[in-house]
Amino acid sequence: MQFDRRAFLRLAAIAPFTSHLLQMNGYPLNVETPLESLTDYLTPNELFFVRSHWIARMPDPKTWKLVVDGDVRTPRKLSLAELKTMPRAEATCVLQCAGNGRALQSPAVPGVQWNYGAVGNARWSGVRVRDVLARAGVRDAAKHLHMFGSDDPPGKVPPFHRSIELEKALDDCILAYEMNGKPLPPEHGAPLRMVVPGWAGDHWMKWLVRLTAAGKPQTGFYMDTAYRWPIQPGEPGVTFKPEEMRPLTEMAVKSNITTAPKRMKLGAVADIRGFAFSGAPGIARVELRDDGGKTFRAATLDTRHAPHAWRLWSYRWKSSRKGVHQLFVRATDSRGVTQPRVSVWNQSGYLYNAWHSATIEVTA
Amino acid sequence: MKALLVLILAASLPMPGTKFKELPPGKAKVDVEAACYACHSADILVQQRLNQKQWTATVEKMMRWGAVVPPEKKMPIVEYLARHFGPGAKFEPIRVQVPPR
Repeated sequence: MQFDRRAFLRLAAIAPFTSHLLQMNGYPLNVETPLESLTDYLTPNELFFVRSHWIARMPDPKTWKLVVDGDVRTPRKLSLAELKTMPRAEATCVLQCAGNGRALQSPAVPGVQWNYGAVGNARWSGVRVRDVLARAGVRDAAKHLHMFGSDDPPGKVPPFHRSIELEKALDDCILAYEMNGKPLPPEHGAPLRMVVPGWAGDHWMKWLVRLTAAGKPQTGFYMDTAYRWPIQPGEPGVTFKPEEMRPLTEMAVKSNITTAPKRMKLGAVADIRGFAFSGAPGIARVELRDDGGKTFRAATLDTRHAPHAWRLWSYRWKSSRKGVHQLFVRATDSRGVTQPRVSVWNQSGYLYNAWHSATIEVTA
Repeated sequence: MKALLVLILAASLPMPGTKFKELPPGKAKVDVEAACYACHSADILVQQRLNQKQWTATVEKMMRWGAVVPPEKKMPIVEYLARHFGPGAKFEPIRVQVPPR
């Protein structure tokens, strides 16, 4: 076999962007995707970020059953085989960790220091939550759905128990057993996880074992202290009290640049690419501005889209002068909300969505 | 050839969760390891950029959550963490191989 040095160097250049994840924690496992790898409409399962609060204790799918109880007329225990006999539901939508971008907040806050890659877009398949709850017959008194996974932590560590409003659960939520057409991988919550389109990842409970309909929201650290959002904005660094915050639900409108050259020749045209998404069902426009201009110009949106999926975009940028340029991107969602230049401060570093930029050096 | 090269490059990376960041030398290193490693690896510690007040709050939270920290070890642990992982500290995540398709 002949050694092709050029081919090797070309592969060596792209391999770091195609073959690895970035480990934020070894155990419990937390890994993010390099931003430059997030170029596909559907993020491949093996490149999809993983967020785990505790060391996973994955249920045995052969004996596993989903318990549905609480304010219901007929409590149920449903096996995976039974769930698969029910009408199939699918949604292509973004999963983003609430803390994605925490490392970019200033001043620094504790937690996993995600940069840009705790986000991905996948096709989730399974069964509608409303179909499962209909089997149990939810009583009118129920207003919330408590979700329990199998990843119970040791000792006094608070369990990651969450709940969502029943209205949202009945609207468009899915219990997914497939991800991008393949069985849901263990690290993504097999055999079953919650899919909550438009809402941050803390609601997307993995390794589901129990759903309980209830009149009141879940209590505990992960409802009363964590995953809360300031009702009124405050100066960076201020610490809000729990009562000054509300539960964090929808994601904020956001766009990122995934593809841009670091250097280019004067007069050349660069193919800038990226993605945009929001808690709103769609993206209305994506715009770019370079540091020489005062106005944003529209990027071209990819034809593929679905409610709460991300929208890929592209933009052809022509270099007009030598030197270092900074290109900014911002998105506007279907409700008319535009990504802000500066992200809203909160002491947990949630939903960072400041304008993203790329730096390009133009040479003669 | 291309496939072989990609394989070689990928194989040179560790699998997720098989390699962890190590703590820098210091008197309190062994106490940090004893208090923290039962629940999580050092990666999550070494990426923080917290001041002493934030580290104190974090260590106290972990003690409430069951971390075993003898009273006389608390301040040395806080000072060790604030000295090494204070504002401005740099962190490079470990590159890990994507799980096989």
